[in-house]
Amino acid sequence: MIEKLERFNRRLSSWCEGLGLAALLLMMVITCIDVVGAKVFLWPLLGAIDIVMLFQIVAISFAASMALILGRHIRVEFLFDLLPRRAQTVINSFVLLLVLGLFMAIIWRLCALGYSFQTSGEYSATAYIPLYPFAYAIALACIPVCLALFLDFLKSLTKGTQK
Amino acid sequence: MSPATAGVIGIGLLVALFLLRMPVAFAMALVGSVGFAYLTTPEAALALLGRDIFDSFSSYPLSVIPMFILMGTFAFASGISRRLYSSAYTWVGQFRGGLTIATVLACSGFAAICGSTAATAATMGRIALPEMRKYGYDNALASGTVAAAGTLGILIPPSTVLIVYGILTEESIGKLFVAGILPGALLTLFFVATVAWLCWRNPRLGPAGPPTSWTQKARAVTGILPATILFLMTIGGLFFGWFSPTQAGAIGAGGALVIGLARGQLRWQTFIEAGKDGLRTSCMVIFIITGAVIFGHFMAVSRIPFMLAEWLGGLPIPPMAVMGVIVLIYFVGGFFMDAMGLIVVTIPIFFPVVQKLGFDLIWFGVMIVLIGEMGVITPPVGVNVFVIKGISDDIPLETIFRGILPFLGALILFTALVMFFPKIATFLPSLVSY
Repeated sequence: MIEKLERFNRRLSSWCEGLGLAALLLMMVITCIDVVGAKVFLWPLLGAIDIVMLFQIVAISFAASMALILGRHIRVEFLFDLLPRRAQTVINSFVLLLVLGLFMAIIWRLCALGYSFQTSGEYSATAYIPLYPFAYAIALACIPVCLALFLDFLKSLTKGTQK
Repeated sequence: MSPATAGVIGIGLLVALFLLRMPVAFAMALVGSVGFAYLTTPEAALALLGRDIFDSFSSYPLSVIPMFILMGTFAFASGISRRLYSSAYTWVGQFRGGLTIATVLACSGFAAICGSTAATAATMGRIALPEMRKYGYDNALASGTVAAAGTLGILIPPSTVLIVYGILTEESIGKLFVAGILPGALLTLFFVATVAWLCWRNPRLGPAGPPTSWTQKARAVTGILPATILFLMTIGGLFFGWFSPTQAGAIGAGGALVIGLARGQLRWQTFIEAGKDGLRTSCMVIFIITGAVIFGHFMAVSRIPFMLAEWLGGLPIPPMAVMGVIVLIYFVGGFFMDAMGLIVVTIPIFFPVVQKLGFDLIWFGVMIVLIGEMGVITPPVGVNVFVIKGISDDIPLETIFRGILPFLGALILFTALVMFFPKIATFLPSLVSY
C-alpha cells in the first residue's frame, strides 16, 4: 500500500516538477525578450518583472516535492549517523512529524492569504495580474510535499516496529 | 522569559534540530515561527509564515538565483567545461604537474560561469580525474586539487553564496560579484603555486605530459571562447550597468543554451535533465532563504543581534580582534555545515555586529565566502570531498583529505591576506558606481 502511494506521489511530483520547469524556462525566455527588446528595439516587455515574479512562485513551489523526495535539501549529517539504528528511527519519525506539521500550517496560511487576496482584490504592480491564484498554487504544490513526508513517516514507523 | 532568553533558547533549539538531521530550511522556518509566536502572538506568527513564503517565492531580487544556477547547468550540459579543460591542458600539460595546473585553471574558468562549489568540483572531477590518473598522477594530489579548486565556484562570479549574502544584507549583487574577481584570480594563482611547489619537491606526484606545438596552443585558445563570451556578457554587463543581476543571469542561461545548441552538444534529454537539476538546486536555495527570512524575524524581535552588536562594539578590544572571533566562529561552523546554510543562519546574528563595527560589508561578504570555501573541503561535512569520493569511489576519503591539506594551507594564508589587505576585495567594487 505504502509503495503504491509512493509511486503515485512520485509520478505526481514529477508532473509538478515538469510544470515548475516550464515556468523556470519561461522566466528565462521572458527576461531575455525583455532585455533584447529594451536594449535593441527600445521596447521593453510590459509587465516582464511581474510575470517573472509570478512564474518564480510556480517554478519553486511545484519543484518542492521532487526536491524533497530526491533529498536535495541541505542537512547536517555527521552526528546522526553515529546514533544507534533504533534511535535514528525514532528521531527520524519525530523530525518528519514536525516538518509535516510545518507544511500543513503553510498550506492553511497560504489558503488564508489567497482568500484575503481574492476578497481584497490584490493585483501585481504593472501587469495587473490577480495574485490570489498564486497563493493557492503554493498551497496546492505543498500537498505532494505533505504526502511525501507522511509516507516517509509511515515507512519510518513500519521500520521501527519491524525491528 | 525575556525576549533575549527566548532568542538564545531558539538558537539552541535550531542547532538541536540541525543535529537531528532536519533540513536547514525547514528547521529555520519552524523555530522562527514558534519563536515569533512566543514573543508576539500565534496569530501574528501564522500570518507572517504565509506572507513570508509568498513574498520570498515571488521576490524579483531572488529570481537572480534560478537564472545563474540555470546558466551553470546549461554550461555544463553544453560541454563548455570539457573544452576549457582541454585548452588549459594544451597550454600547461607539458610542465611538471601540468595536468593538475590545467585542472586548477579550468576550475577557475568554469567558476566564471557557474556559481556552485559542488557543481564545479563534480564537473571538473569527471573530466580531470580520469586524465590525471591515466598519466600516473598521485591520487592525493589529483583528488585534493579538484576538491580544492572546485571551491573557486563560490568566489569567482557568478556565485550563489554571494547572491544570497547580497539579498540577506541588501548589498549590491553587482558589486559583490565584481569584488570576487580579483580574490578569485589571486586564489587561482595561489593554488597553481601550491601545485608547482608540491611537484617541485616531489616530481613523481605529477609527471610532465607530452609537449605541444605553438599551433596546437593557438588552436586551443578557441576552447576558452564560449566561457569567456558568457563571462563577459553576464559579469561585464553587470559591471557596466547594462543589466540587472536577474537579466544578466537570464542572458547567461540563454547564451549557454544557444552555445550548446549551436555546437550540437545539447540534446533534448540533456536539456531537460540540466533544467531539472537547475530547478531543484534553485528550489533548495530559495527555501533556505525563506527559512532564513522567517528565522530573521524571530531574531529581530528577540533583539539578540542588536544586543550582541552593542556588547561587542563596546568591548575594549580593537574591531579587528572582534572580526577575528567572527572569522573563527565561521571557520569552526564550516566544519559542520554547508557554506550556504552557515551563512543564512549566521547573517541575521552577525551582520548588525559587522555593520556596527564599521567594516566594509562587501569585503565581509568576500571574507565569509573564503571561510565558506574552507568548510566545503574540511571534515566531517566537506561537500566537495564527498563529491570527489562519489566520482572516484576507489580513492579513500583519507587520501582526498590528505591531498586537500596543502590547498587548505594556501586558502588560510590567502584569507589572512584579504583580512589584512581589504583592498584586494574592495578595489574593483570601488570602480563601480551602482
